[in-house]
Amino acid sequence: MTSLVALTIDGLGVDFEGFKAVNQVSMTVDDGELRVLLGANGAGKTTLMDLISGKTRSTEGRVFVHDTEITNWEEHKIARAGIGRKFQIPSVFKELTVRRNLEVASCKNPGVFANLGFGFSAKENVDEVLELIGLTEEANQVAAYLSHGQTQWLELGLLITQNPKIILLDEPTAGMTQAETHKTSQIVNNLKGRHTIVVVEHDMAFVREIAERITVLHLGQVLAEGNVEEIETNPKVREAYLGSKGIS
Amino acid sequence: MLSKQKIDWAIYAAFVILIMLAPLAMDTFWLNRVAKYLVYGMLGTAVALSWGYAGILNLGQGLFFGAGAYMLAMSLKLASTTSLQQGSDKPVPDFMLWNAEPGAPTELCCITKASFLWLPFQSQWFGVAMGLILPVLLATVLGTIVFRKRIAGVFVSIITLALVLLVRLVVIDSQPVTNGFNGLTDLGWFNVFGLEFDPYVTATYYLVAVSLSLVLVGVRLLVETRAGIVLQAVRDDQNRARYLGFDVPAYQTFFFAVSAAIAGVAGMLYVIVSEFASPTFMDLSFSITMVVWAAVGGRSSVLGACIGAILINVISATVSETEGFAEAWKAIIGLIFVLVVLYLPRGLAGLAHDFVDRFVARKSSPSGQTIGVTGASSQAAE
Repeated sequence: MTSLVALTIDGLGVDFEGFKAVNQVSMTVDDGELRVLLGANGAGKTTLMDLISGKTRSTEGRVFVHDTEITNWEEHKIARAGIGRKFQIPSVFKELTVRRNLEVASCKNPGVFANLGFGFSAKENVDEVLELIGLTEEANQVAAYLSHGQTQWLELGLLITQNPKIILLDEPTAGMTQAETHKTSQIVNNLKGRHTIVVVEHDMAFVREIAERITVLHLGQVLAEGNVEEIETNPKVREAYLGSKGIS
Repeated sequence: MLSKQKIDWAIYAAFVILIMLAPLAMDTFWLNRVAKYLVYGMLGTAVALSWGYAGILNLGQGLFFGAGAYMLAMSLKLASTTSLQQGSDKPVPDFMLWNAEPGAPTELCCITKASFLWLPFQSQWFGVAMGLILPVLLATVLGTIVFRKRIAGVFVSIITLALVLLVRLVVIDSQPVTNGFNGLTDLGWFNVFGLEFDPYVTATYYLVAVSLSLVLVGVRLLVETRAGIVLQAVRDDQNRARYLGFDVPAYQTFFFAVSAAIAGVAGMLYVIVSEFASPTFMDLSFSITMVVWAAVGGRSSVLGACIGAILINVISATVSETEGFAEAWKAIIGLIFVLVVLYLPRGLAGLAHDFVDRFVARKSSPSGQTIGVTGASSQAAE
């Protein structure tokens, strides 16, 4: 590997009163890489994302964005350090219009006093993102009125506008139809190279469409790492996660 | 979009002109009354800012109103003629003599145990400054604790509710300094460089009307700044805003404090107009009444909440004085509230917005597409 490392996780773990949901996980994700996290329910995928993004405080190990250690910072500071996150349950600003949602995400000042002026400066950027997520026609609609799939895309749009170095996506296709899933994979593929992306996903069709490297978690630990083929044929993975029948 | 905003501002302008012209049609008795209602309107706006825009349902707004009121009332009490006739060459409030220990000197410094707190209030402008500073300070401390701890929703309401009752109790209990249940009465007039604000003259009415206009325009502009829009994003989804990198508690605390400052100003104006301050300002029922005003007028409309407050008070004044309704007027107000909550969840302002939307839509596109969007926005707001 010649490229730079964007995200470094070093011996990260959390102890919930004796239960180690994530235990001694170490991995590195390169600049511009798209990494998929696989694992059965309870493997610790979402918890790992919580630890990286600051939602849950880790009890051991460290996290770095490039050379900056961000272990257990406050969430908004981690976000400003370059980590964006999409939640499993789509969360957008429901009473604001689609455009307003993106404008809020484009706002570069975290504090309240710096924002006592009028207007957002990122109109072109917002238009571009609207195009990318396919919501140009809905730009002036209130977000509460979007369909489930559109809401998911809007949240992706928030992340794209925020423009963090690293994007964490927690099940971006949850609850989507096949067509919607396909469109989501196009959006995610479009982000490849510009951002470093970590995706938690169950939908194997989607994983095949986007994946480069896969990390498999099992019982809070890293079980295997490799490309799609290697993972599909790895006997340990088959046993732990995919069942004896393999990936369907 | 643009023309809708223009209509909005035109409505603000119409309201300001209306309250400026009102004295032409009223005798001094009604003028004083309407001035009080305009103060209530200001409170409605303060509630709309924290409830409608920040999503913080404060059931103790009376705390900030009372704080503002008492601070100015202390200064005005010392400015009253009776305070100068208590046998000292410096003013001393009459009630302090009634509460003094036998043999205590008739001096503000030491007539009762905590009477020295009154010393700086001999300057009226100290009272005015404190009327602004105290509510903001209280709100900032309370907000910082509550919002950093990520307390939200109904729990904030319960904390504010408990707090206003607690402070009310302390005020009543501190009879020697606050005159307890009786409150501060027999006040002097507010005095700006020799101009005295007799509550029954037009100048006092204009003091209130101009203050209200400034507050309305100020708040309206404030919610349209980037910070105001981020605040609405925080209201819709705190976590999303946090993970976009915003310092969420800072936004909540700031706007909570602005709302408190407005309530403090309203409290001071109320003292000037009504010539008393009393612990009833911190009654639970008063704080809840403010919420009702905002709900009827429209909690996510700065002007709507203000008009809601004024309208309800004008109605209750007229209805309660009409023979035959004298007993039933509270039921009528209650009925109006129930009807609005059931059928107009966005209040009267929501109704007005729908009218404007339909008007704009008909003018701009006959295809009806914009009307669909309008329907979406009204549903979404519910």
